[in-house]
Amino acid sequence: MDMSQYRDLFVSEARDHLSAFGELIVRIEDVSGDQAAINELFRHAHSLKGMAATMGYDPIARLAHIMEDQLSRVRNGEIPLVPSLADLLLEGADALAGMVLQVESDSASIAESAGLIERLSAFDPGSEKKSERAVSPQPEPASSEPSAAASHQFRQSDSLKSIRIKTETLDQLVNITGELITNRHCLAECARQGGLSALDEPLHQLAALLRDLRDVVFKARMVPFAFIAERFPRLVRDLARKQGKEVAFHIEGKNIELDRGVLEEIAEALVHILRNAVDHGMDSPDERVAAGKSYNGEISLVVARDKDHVDIVVSDDGRGMDPERLKAKALEKGLITAEQAVAMTNQEALMLICSPGFSTAATVSEISGRGVGMDAVRNAIHSLGGVLSIHSQAGFGSRFVLRLPITVSIIQVLMVRCGSFEVAFPVNVVNRTMELMREDIVDDAGQKAVLLDGVHVPVRSLNRLLGQPVLSGGAAGIVPAVVCEAGGRLVAFITDRLLGQQEIFVRPLATPLSFLRGISGATVTGDGRVIFIVDAASLA
Amino acid sequence: MGRTVMIVDDALFMRNILRGIVLEKGYIVVSEAASGIEAMKKLHSHHPDIILLDIILPDSNGLDLLQSITATSPESKVVICSGIGQEQVIQKALELGAKAFIQKPFTPEKVVEVLEGLVG
Repeated sequence: MDMSQYRDLFVSEARDHLSAFGELIVRIEDVSGDQAAINELFRHAHSLKGMAATMGYDPIARLAHIMEDQLSRVRNGEIPLVPSLADLLLEGADALAGMVLQVESDSASIAESAGLIERLSAFDPGSEKKSERAVSPQPEPASSEPSAAASHQFRQSDSLKSIRIKTETLDQLVNITGELITNRHCLAECARQGGLSALDEPLHQLAALLRDLRDVVFKARMVPFAFIAERFPRLVRDLARKQGKEVAFHIEGKNIELDRGVLEEIAEALVHILRNAVDHGMDSPDERVAAGKSYNGEISLVVARDKDHVDIVVSDDGRGMDPERLKAKALEKGLITAEQAVAMTNQEALMLICSPGFSTAATVSEISGRGVGMDAVRNAIHSLGGVLSIHSQAGFGSRFVLRLPITVSIIQVLMVRCGSFEVAFPVNVVNRTMELMREDIVDDAGQKAVLLDGVHVPVRSLNRLLGQPVLSGGAAGIVPAVVCEAGGRLVAFITDRLLGQQEIFVRPLATPLSFLRGISGATVTGDGRVIFIVDAASLA
Repeated sequence: MGRTVMIVDDALFMRNILRGIVLEKGYIVVSEAASGIEAMKKLHSHHPDIILLDIILPDSNGLDLLQSITATSPESKVVICSGIGQEQVIQKALELGAKAFIQKPFTPEKVVEVLEGLVG
């Protein structure tokens, strides 16, 4: 019989017994000789012992057993429930709570409390009194106070170490923190306009406190990747079986933490990528052997933290993708022109699988869906301010890299003036900013480009993309540019002016604004203006 | 002999485990109670073939309850399921009409063995 299914119930019921136990002991100390309460104490210890023994948690059963024994003596009138015994019993209840916590947190073993068991079983109210008197003329403070203090401390630090909080409460905390940040910008703006320099210092302190608040609130929202990863091995295994493929799957970095919101958004995208990896990416054992590869295919999911973002990489050693075939397919479907196909890099060609209406599978399979999948995956990643890049080599497998911010709702952005708009680029997609001279912009196969580290980086006019008048640049003909990572390559967006970096609170867009191309969210500035957040990848 | 069972234990944890064990063996759990009062109330409407009875209950002593049960529902076979295993307690329970005694902690096999012995 699998006892693990009863573990959660054990934990919650054990907690109930222990909290009732603690309350009762304190009550009995006040009302001496409360027989009903002593019976109840005995029952709590007794029940806990039985439950723990049934589950095989022997250290808990042993400690509860000795507590039950002493309570049995109290019940039979053999010994009185003196304060020093109450202290020991409370200490026992605290130790039991600690052990229950270990059970809950899935510890491999439960720490034994041998010393406490010895003290409990050796307890004798008469002899203790005598020895105390021998040691000190003031026995009570000398002997009972330190143990009372110790047990009090233990309870504070251990049984209240973690509590459960509703996720809505955490969401509210983020919202309030975000509003506070907006509000601070507002205050700073008022102070600046009113010339109130006396506010500089308090505002400065407020900013520091808000940063701390933000960090703590985010810390509270962090969840290990394992939270969503549990179902992946089963998913891959079941899919592979269904298709007669042999796949070894492994996950690395399960303990790396991300914001709960990011994880929620990304879970479905990862399911889709993994499905694709098994369905389209992985070759059958026969194909593999014929290609000189191992019989078993391998798929890995690796999570790694890098400063303020997390990389999630899904790799397979399957068929890989052929950029030329992808281009031909896109041409055939009318998604690109022949000229575009020629000008396309391999990286760009691989990103074609994320175009709406593109499907590479010879037959659309029941599993991977209808060719809208990768499009949705890319959108999900972009809406988080993340970047998707795809690497593949025909015959050797594919690698999908999701670069994600650790948190989404409060982010650093680069503010940019674009015609009559101010817009914001999430800092984590910005590769660099530069000022381009007119002669820096060259023609690369019919497209404007700029040479960066020996590579032609396409140049796009942000003003044109957002329907704003295009300025010709200042007198010197200098144009500021924001170089972004978009779809696995760099793109330089030229615009009117770079305004600087700022921390903002991102608000999602509701319909119909959510349909706006190139915009992933918005924020409200200190002076009440709405600033849109640019989705560089979809504009590139 | 039928196979309907009533479980009397104040711990939901214990009731769940016992339920899991007996259900797996094809018994029907017709009723569960967490206290003596609840057990006596439910006994009137069910009269199960077998009653698994804990001794330490919040409102009563299982041995007193045992007497009430045998008076109310003499056809029910009572199995004491308890962590109290002193010889005199077992002896007393059997004298008062219990058909068997299962010492906690028990293994599922032990519970099944006792039940099968009763059902025959």
